[in-house]
Amino acid sequence: MKDKRFWSPYIAGIILGLTLLATFYVAGRGLGGSGAMALVTAVGSHALVPEFISKLKYFSQYITPESPLLNWNLFLLVGVFLGALAGAVFSGNFKVLLDKGKSMSVRTRLITSFVGGITIGFASRLARGCTSGVALTGGAQLALSGWIFVISMFAAGFIVAAFYRRLWS
Amino acid sequence: MIGPFELSQTVSLGLAVVLGIFFGLSLERGGLGNPHKLTGVFYLRDFTVPKVMFTAIVVASVGLYLLSDLRLLDLDRVYIIPTFFWPQIVGGALFGVGYVVSGYCPGTAMAGFATGRLDALITIIGVGAGSLLFAVLFPILEGFYLSSDMGQTTLPKLAGVNNWVIIGAVVAFALGMFLLMEWYEKRKVGHGTHREAFPNSVGDNAVIHTR
Repeated sequence: MKDKRFWSPYIAGIILGLTLLATFYVAGRGLGGSGAMALVTAVGSHALVPEFISKLKYFSQYITPESPLLNWNLFLLVGVFLGALAGAVFSGNFKVLLDKGKSMSVRTRLITSFVGGITIGFASRLARGCTSGVALTGGAQLALSGWIFVISMFAAGFIVAAFYRRLWS
Repeated sequence: MIGPFELSQTVSLGLAVVLGIFFGLSLERGGLGNPHKLTGVFYLRDFTVPKVMFTAIVVASVGLYLLSDLRLLDLDRVYIIPTFFWPQIVGGALFGVGYVVSGYCPGTAMAGFATGRLDALITIIGVGAGSLLFAVLFPILEGFYLSSDMGQTTLPKLAGVNNWVIIGAVVAFALGMFLLMEWYEKRKVGHGTHREAFPNSVGDNAVIHTR
């Protein structure tokens, strides 16, 4: 089906795949999304309540002595913002809005976007990454991790969508 | 030159921004800053996510193992995502729930925010809160988090076959899936335009531009 607002998904996929390949080649690593968000949370919350956050063993990996924000994944995520912004602006696709399913109230959407985000944040720490870091990167590496994550994610997604059709239709 | 390279911090971070720009551009231009398209696959009405994702996986895996076979890339110095079987099964399932509920995943939420979507920003803040929750609960979760450690396992190693056997299977699976999706879309959507096919899509107002 043609959706004139966007590129063909196959073209977008080829560019994404080549980007991932270039990342493997130059840096010996893959793409990522959730890690940088955990990093900013750890560093930000440490600045606000250092006594509490410095006791958290899991966050100690992010609170490094010298400039923790000079981090590959964080700079990558800044790039993601800039690239997507450029794509949206130059294609006339930029619009400030609160996007939601048609039959959903604004209040419900505020809740689903936040609670869904919490679930994603928690799940990606448990799985050691998200759709970018485990599914896409691991999938392309033929890593077992990537493929079990993808299968589990799609299976759960279909079940939730079947029970809550009103979310997005 | 054989990759990957030892890079200075400045070069490395500069490259990260450049690669991130291509990453974000392909997500947004593929339609993956839009939660209706991101969740469409789960309602069998828009297969953009699997199309973009599996095209990217095919391109990157063929390229990765080809560069390695041509001795242009040292695969031993590429960080292979480690497998922790049960945490990744449970994490993947929880992730799928959060993905459908919020309409985003972390990278696409950043792309969605860049297109002006405020709900995507809320999801990003949620991801931070969820990470904090994980860190707070880590003492209880640590045993499970570290369980079923299988190291940097790959499917070819696990099956004891050549890399290209698995890559061939992945390509065949992806092509078969794409054909099935195209066939299904034609059958279901017929000759309708996008607007007729998705009358409910929010965000369609005023974003279809003619040049």
